[in-house]
Amino acid sequence: MTKIGDTILRVENLQKSYGDMKAVDGISFEVKKGEIFGILGPNGAGKTTTLEMIETLRSIDGGSASIDGVDVATQPYEIRGMIGVQPQAPGFQDKTKLTEIIQMFAAAYGEKVNPKKFLDEVNLGDKANSYIEQLSGGQKQRFSIVTALVHNPKVFFLDEPTTGLDPQARRNLWELIEEVRGRGISVILTTHYMDEAEVLCDRIAIMDRGKIIKLDTPKNLIKDLLDRGFTKEQKVEQANLEDVFIDLTGKGLRV
Amino acid sequence: MTLQQKLLTVWVFFRINLRRVFRDRLALFFTFLFPLIFLFVFGSLSHNSSISLNIAVINESKSPIAEQFAASLNKSKVVKVNKDVKTFSDANQRMSRGEVDATVELPANFGVVKDGLPAGNVLVHYTQNSEQAAQTLVSVLQATVQGVNAKIVTNKTPFTVSSRQTNEHSLSAFDYTFTGLLGFSILGAGIFGPINVFPELKKMGILRRLHTTPLRVWQYFLSTMMGQAVTGLLSIGVMFTVAHAVFGLKPVGNLAQFAVFVALGIVLVLGIGLAIGGWAKNERQAAPLGNIIVFPMMFLTGVFFPRFLMPHWLQGITTYMPLTPVIDGARMILTEGKTLLDLGPQLGVMAIWFVIIYAIAFRVFRWE
Repeated sequence: MTKIGDTILRVENLQKSYGDMKAVDGISFEVKKGEIFGILGPNGAGKTTTLEMIETLRSIDGGSASIDGVDVATQPYEIRGMIGVQPQAPGFQDKTKLTEIIQMFAAAYGEKVNPKKFLDEVNLGDKANSYIEQLSGGQKQRFSIVTALVHNPKVFFLDEPTTGLDPQARRNLWELIEEVRGRGISVILTTHYMDEAEVLCDRIAIMDRGKIIKLDTPKNLIKDLLDRGFTKEQKVEQANLEDVFIDLTGKGLRV
Repeated sequence: MTLQQKLLTVWVFFRINLRRVFRDRLALFFTFLFPLIFLFVFGSLSHNSSISLNIAVINESKSPIAEQFAASLNKSKVVKVNKDVKTFSDANQRMSRGEVDATVELPANFGVVKDGLPAGNVLVHYTQNSEQAAQTLVSVLQATVQGVNAKIVTNKTPFTVSSRQTNEHSLSAFDYTFTGLLGFSILGAGIFGPINVFPELKKMGILRRLHTTPLRVWQYFLSTMMGQAVTGLLSIGVMFTVAHAVFGLKPVGNLAQFAVFVALGIVLVLGIGLAIGGWAKNERQAAPLGNIIVFPMMFLTGVFFPRFLMPHWLQGITTYMPLTPVIDGARMILTEGKTLLDLGPQLGVMAIWFVIIYAIAFRVFRWE
């Protein structure tokens, strides 16, 4: 049995090429149980390809990845039973009730669950009999997270989870991700929002051109930069526009 | 995962997706109403096929015999009198359009008593293209006239012709129409269904999302096959009921065996749809390939016209197309009272296609 702090995901010299282009060029990192791990980088840096290889969706050209000692390349079906995946744009079939979609996902993992309990966890209990097309963007994101957790996975992957959400929904999702981590599930996410990474992630890997160019806690990364003599124009304000927005419209989650 | 768990997965997918079909109005229309529309159109066409001659009758005589003669034509089973036609110009117009094959004229002096006996001449008008119809009509009328003559002038008739119906049940045009439409319905649902649905599921990332779960392709296929078999059988059940009630289809075979056989046909054809839809990345790949496969099958396997009308060499080739044994077998059970045991050749061809089609479908399937 793994304990909080034990290594759950181990990636060693992982590689993927498309023709001459090295999309992922020999990266290595480890993620601990109960950790929130962020992968940052510009578009085309290889973040999504990295996730997709670990998620068994893409073949691994070189190196290895293993979750709780199970090798990704050779035992993909075991891995799929151990991970939950939240894609960039979650899609579900229409004219299907939320409870039915949860039943289907649970069934895909060979399990029977009480869908209502899962919906209550993310404040969607009153939407149990709605169809997916009747949900707002934020609700869809929360629902999608539920479907990825029906089988109580060991590692939870989120690809740009808050893109396109309003500030309230974004904050709500952060809380949800913290909660998932609280259950001892390791979270690996990619994002383009630095504030998100700073608030959420225990450690961050910054990727560019297929390589990890820096890996540390957000605090150390900033300290490191300041130690090298970095300064930026001092801000006088103690608040930013988002603080104003939240102050005016409240933290309460909309639809 | 145990096998039992894996089958539970199939069952849950089947159950929920089946429920979903009944919430989708478009799917309901294409599954149930669309085949019925075709049934009504083709059914009424083939239903009227016993009436071979459309004629107009213009009676210019006032005599009671002329009236009787015209009335007897109205009752005839061989000709169909178009009662709208009253004038020669109208009749000529309709003949030139091919709407009426020939016009029967009873002149003003028809049936007028002359030399103590009623007499008259029936005149048949026809066009260049309706000579055959006119010949047939003339012989029909001659027989009628002879019957009348015999009543007026009694004489001996040493040679006669008579006819008697045999007890042999022969296939009507509608029997072919119905099993053809059944094939049409199986083709439509089995191929056009998946090639429309799968690219959509891929575009929305739904299949990709499922791919991150331990779900296997065979589980997904099996649940789809079960769903398709159920909706297909329901759809054909509705067609069957309407064909029975409206068009007088009289099944002589065992309906349970018919259902089993049709379900096998549905699953076979679905494999083609799964292969195309599963392979295609988007609609643009799926649609043309679907059409290339569907249209030849529609015209060559007996969907729209019976294969016995084809030249011999074409019949030989089309025997081995995947849909042919389905349509032939369904007709043999339904209208000839054959059993599954008699359908060895059909089931054999279907089994070979089943292996080929599903081997391809599994090999080319892509989750995204």
